[in-house]
This record gives sequence, structure tokens and C-alpha cells, in this order.
Amino acid sequence: MMDIWHEELPGDVQLVGVRGRLDQNLTPELDAELDALLEEGYQRFIVDMSEVSYINSGGLRCLVTAWRKAKKEGGNVYLFGLQPRVHQVFSMVGFDKVFELYPTQQAAQAEWQQGVS
Amino acid sequence: MGRENSLTVPGRYSEIQRLCAFVSKGARQAGFSEDSIFQIELACDEACTNIIEHTYGGEAKGEITVRWQVKKRVFVISIEDNGKRFDAGQIPPPPMPPEPPTPGNEFEIQVGGLGVFFMRELMDEVHFSYQAGKGNVLTMEKQLPEKAQ
Repeated sequence: MMDIWHEELPGDVQLVGVRGRLDQNLTPELDAELDALLEEGYQRFIVDMSEVSYINSGGLRCLVTAWRKAKKEGGNVYLFGLQPRVHQVFSMVGFDKVFELYPTQQAAQAEWQQGVS
Repeated sequence: MGRENSLTVPGRYSEIQRLCAFVSKGARQAGFSEDSIFQIELACDEACTNIIEHTYGGEAKGEITVRWQVKKRVFVISIEDNGKRFDAGQIPPPPMPPEPPTPGNEFEIQVGGLGVFFMRELMDEVHFSYQAGKGNVLTMEKQLPEKAQ
């Protein structure tokens, strides 16, 4: 099983999944995946955080960098399924106010669909 | 209690998880909840990342030694390196909370200084010291939970 996976959803929305600890070992892979998609011109992202059990400042930095690049192109990076301890890390540094966080993929996807219509 | 446990590894990112697991195991033995263990682990992770990034200026430039012990109902972690002086005072804290995105500054979220912020936020005491010729010693403390022996 891949720790970072990617699936294209309707409306050019890119679903990127992360599985495991978003730390020094895994973050470079996520960074490369998001960067490659941004390079290809995609701007609408949903990141599945439901299987992320741990995140450090490097993981946050990776997500906020992608968020910043996507926003610059008129897109966004929505996150869903944050586990409570990971959510707490976001809250501690106010990133829960920076990112749009959703409980489920459906909720995040619905937000993109609304934006499209 | 009071016995010291230590682990020394090469200063590489791939070794950080091993150091964190070593400290987490000690924290679990000391009676911390899983939530607190997560916090201790994150503080150690950020400390070791800082050592590689700032005091050594890259991977494989030196070793990192982590020790933990329980002293008077306090879980004490010390992290040592042989790199250049790490002056935490020079690292500005990130704006808290980050400014909400507004036209003009919406992409300027500051992400520097988060590591030291996490360490200070998650632990009860954080102390940096430096001895010329020896290196840095970072000491972090967390009070044991009430019910722990």
C-alpha cells in the first residue's frame, strides 16, 4: 500500500491521500506529489487526512506551502478527516483557521461542487 | 525511578522517529496518557529536527543523544548535540494566531519558528544551554500526571 496516493475527482479536483505519520520520512513524498500536481496546473485539492496519525511542523509547512500556491492560482486545498490529536496540532498554531477543514470527503467534495456551479 | 536512559544516533532525519519512540516508551512507562505521549513525541521531534537543521546545518554532521529520567515526579528529557550554538531567542515566535487571510496578506502565513513554539507549548519547562567545545544541551520537563506512580 502506498503511503501517498492520488485520485482525480470530477471537476478537476485532485484527491490526495496520506497514510501514516506526516513526519520527515513521509512529508517529502507528499511535497513531491502536491508539487507535481501544481506544476501540471491543477489548483483544486482535497487532502484525505483521516489516516494521518501524527504531524509535525514540517508536515504543516508542506500543506501550507501547497495551500499558498493553490490559492495564488485561484484554487484551494481542503482537508478532511483530521484525527483529534492532529487537529489539536492545527489548532495550537491557528491553522484550523487557515485551512478549510471538513469531516468527510463528501463534505469537502460538495464544497468544490458548489464552487463550480 | 531516577534511573537515566539514553540513546545516541547519527543526526539524520530518518533516525528521529527512533529517538521519539525511545522517549515515548519512557513516557508510557512513567504513566502519561496517550495524548501527553503524542505531545512529548512532537516536542522531541521538533527539537531533533532543529538540531539537524540549525546546529548541524544538515544531515550526518554529528550525533544526537537523548536521555530521559523521572525526577521528583517530573519527566525530564535532555537532548545533546555537538553542533554550533543554538540560540532559541533568535527564532521569532510565529504570529499567534496567524492573521486570518485578508486581501493583501492572505498568502503570507508565517511557518518559521513553529518547532520551538511547539516545544515551549507542549512541555512545562524548556531550557537551552551551550558549552563551548561540547555543544548544546536542551532540557525539557513535563510534570507526571496525578495518578502515575
